[in-house]
Amino acid sequence: MSVLAAALLVLLAATPARALTVRDMLGRDVTLPAPPRRIVSLVPSVTESIFALGGEARLVGRTDWCDSPPAARAKPSVGGMIDPSIERIVTLEPDLVIATDEGNREETMQQLGRLGIPTYLVHAHRVAEMLDMVARLGGLVERGDAVGPLVGSIRGRIEAIRARVAALPRPSVLYVLWPEPLIVPGRASHITELIELAGGRSITAAMGESYVRLSLEAAVARAPDVIILADHSTAGTAAGRPSPEKWQRLTSVPAIKAGRLHSIDLSVLHRYGPRIPDGLEMLARMIHPEAFR
Amino acid sequence: MTARAREPLVEFRDVGFAYRQAARAGGRRFAFEGLSFSVEAGEVFGVIGPNSAGKTSLLRLLTRVLAPVRGSILIDGRAVLDMPHWELARQIAVVPQETPRPFPFSVEQLVLMGRYPHAPTRFFETAADRAAARDAMAATGTLALASLPLETLSGGERQRAMLARALAQEPRLLVLDEPTSHLDLRYQAETAELLRRLNRDRGVTVLLVSHDLNLAAELCDRLLLLAAGRVAGLGTPAEVLEAPRLERVFGCHLVVDKSASGRPTVQLAWGPPR
Amino acid sequence: MTDGRRLALALLSLGALLGVVACTAVFVGSAGLSARAVASALTGHAAPESVESIVTLRLRVPRVIVATLAGGALAVAGVAFQALTRNPLAEPSVLGVTSGAAFGVILAQIAGLGASVTDTLAAAGCAFAGALLAAATVYATAMSSGGLAIQTLLLAGVIVGIFFSAAITVIISIVDFNRLGGVVHWLLGNVAPVPAGSLTAFALLAGGGFLLILRSARELNVLALGEEAARQLGVDAEALKRRVFLAAALLTGTVVAFTGPIAFVGLVVPHVLRGIVGPDNRVLVPASLLAGGAFLLAADTVARNVVAPAELSVGVITAFCGAPVFIWVLRTRARVLP
Repeated sequence: MSVLAAALLVLLAATPARALTVRDMLGRDVTLPAPPRRIVSLVPSVTESIFALGGEARLVGRTDWCDSPPAARAKPSVGGMIDPSIERIVTLEPDLVIATDEGNREETMQQLGRLGIPTYLVHAHRVAEMLDMVARLGGLVERGDAVGPLVGSIRGRIEAIRARVAALPRPSVLYVLWPEPLIVPGRASHITELIELAGGRSITAAMGESYVRLSLEAAVARAPDVIILADHSTAGTAAGRPSPEKWQRLTSVPAIKAGRLHSIDLSVLHRYGPRIPDGLEMLARMIHPEAFR
Repeated sequence: MTARAREPLVEFRDVGFAYRQAARAGGRRFAFEGLSFSVEAGEVFGVIGPNSAGKTSLLRLLTRVLAPVRGSILIDGRAVLDMPHWELARQIAVVPQETPRPFPFSVEQLVLMGRYPHAPTRFFETAADRAAARDAMAATGTLALASLPLETLSGGERQRAMLARALAQEPRLLVLDEPTSHLDLRYQAETAELLRRLNRDRGVTVLLVSHDLNLAAELCDRLLLLAAGRVAGLGTPAEVLEAPRLERVFGCHLVVDKSASGRPTVQLAWGPPR
Repeated sequence: MTDGRRLALALLSLGALLGVVACTAVFVGSAGLSARAVASALTGHAAPESVESIVTLRLRVPRVIVATLAGGALAVAGVAFQALTRNPLAEPSVLGVTSGAAFGVILAQIAGLGASVTDTLAAAGCAFAGALLAAATVYATAMSSGGLAIQTLLLAGVIVGIFFSAAITVIISIVDFNRLGGVVHWLLGNVAPVPAGSLTAFALLAGGGFLLILRSARELNVLALGEEAARQLGVDAEALKRRVFLAAALLTGTVVAFTGPIAFVGLVVPHVLRGIVGPDNRVLVPASLLAGGAFLLAADTVARNVVAPAELSVGVITAFCGAPVFIWVLRTRARVLP
């Protein structure tokens, strides 16, 4: 259906110099005088998706965190996700800024709104929402024809991994987004869904909202079979690299007994973009190494 | 002095007062009960007595820092409690026992603060205020110190600067709380001389609260001896400073003698070391 | 030199300094506009929707105004707290007042207040209430142990600050993890352009607090003699304290509502100024307004440009300047005080 919406959007956009109104993923109506030709992306997964769709010619700005694909680094940066330079954004003369309600600040949107720069908000927790986002972005950058193949390939790869582990017993998994305080994915997190797809069962799947705090005691009591630590050190810095020593001491936990303590590159797993299948495969290999031998 | 027309400038009429906390705690209970006396215009009046006799409380009642529970305190026939703060400050200036710290202001700035009650709503002082301040500094010999920070001065200089500030108020009554407690003998003598001169030349009425019986005897026309909130003696120094009365009030042996000026002097009767 | 002339000289020199800093702030930034482009925008020669107009007139100029107002208000609040407590180290952040205000704003944010003028005023109201609560607690705590001893006051301030920080932490732990970045960012103290309506509200609130304190400047001088002596000099000390406390809490709360908690401006600026214009609050209060504005504006200009296009939080920079000054004052004053 989303593909249909995108196709419709493309049709609309094909009519030259016609104002168009699109509804973003938070249900806000965004009115644009014409299909956007100068887009600033404040979201790494949006940047990735636009590149994957072949719409990068319309991308005029990105954040410091938008480092994938490598060609994205050639685009001018407007600063961080939380503290981008509004000045720099204005200088790029964008006709649309794409942001997310998670990781960007509302004040940034308010400031852009006051300057008359339209913002389009994305919001993706489930794989389906992620695919929807890709389709919507395809419409925005007028690459509707690329949406089908890209979404198809992502879906296909996800399905292939799922099929490979579907019949296997489901080990319990503790995913550690942040070690201190211990922050774990909850009910609404896409990580919970990915663990499911990778043939595991997140021990925190029933908890709270997207990300929740968990006491170490509770984590130990739930006796996970596999522990996966998020590695925040993608920017080449040592900060954010997980320290397995703390976990190694918890020798009563099945995961530690069996030596099933892993760390995973956060930037692959946490970007709701075309690399999600890569992240899913990494997860599946950790949860079901036997299926990939 | 006796020739000068005398009328009460300050009048305590049947004043009762008690510290509420002290009364509740049941500890060192202190109270005035029916305290009555008056200070005549133009005289030097001393309030003496042992520790915790009520000297400082009397002073605070007079300056409205405390309010009596009974009776009334009048200045020139008007109740102190009915006057605005600033109007009372034009009548009474207080030289406190301690100089404030930290106090970053210069002597001149300090003395100019004395002009506050004369125009509380004014932002900057006028030329007339400055002239009054200079006059007060000249009278106390602090003109040369005008631009120095108060904190850098010696104890005697600070005392004189505080006195200059009180004079800048141009009060009718100058109240001094233990004016010589931090001063060595030379400055004590100077302060006494200064007060005498101010009283004589400017007609300022002086109310002196002091531990120092000899200073009070030397300076004051009349003395009020307080003991536990009651009047234990009121009259000329010769009348009040009698050995039996003082021994009863202070609880120790004393020798009362006469100084070269004819005023009584009081000394502790030291016994042989035991 | 008369008082009026002394004040005029101080205000002229500080006004010139503020002018220079403001010019620098308007001309530099991550957009990398040429001086000519900025000048054409300022003089109205550039098209209203051009990049230089938007960057200069709608981003930089409002931000300059916010930084100047916030810095001035914090410095004046510092002078007020110092005069009230007769303690050169008293300052909104040291006394925990800033934390109290921040707590109020965080509560308002959780309650879902947005960016409209009325919402901004409501947030400022919450900040004011928080600031007042913190200031009153510190004052009562310090007074209860008899007089405003310097150590007691600082300790009480630290404790109240810790309490409100803890309360903020409780709220943060409830907040969705994805919003945490934004809240933490706010807590560091940042200057951002504010729309004209809210800016007017900010200016009016800050101006009200400033005028209340300026009007009390002469009485605050007298208060340096001690409360009892001030009363004996005709100052209604109770009314004065209430008035100045309210005004200083209003200034602090307003600034926190608009910029988040920014520390130490109220310590650094008055301390440096006293060395130049002396201790007279009648000169110090208006001088602090200008110098505080210039200081925070300079700090914000640095914050905007050192890691461009990303930005530092201005609170980080003021803390870097403030902590050494705090230690220095503590060392020099501790010897004088009992």
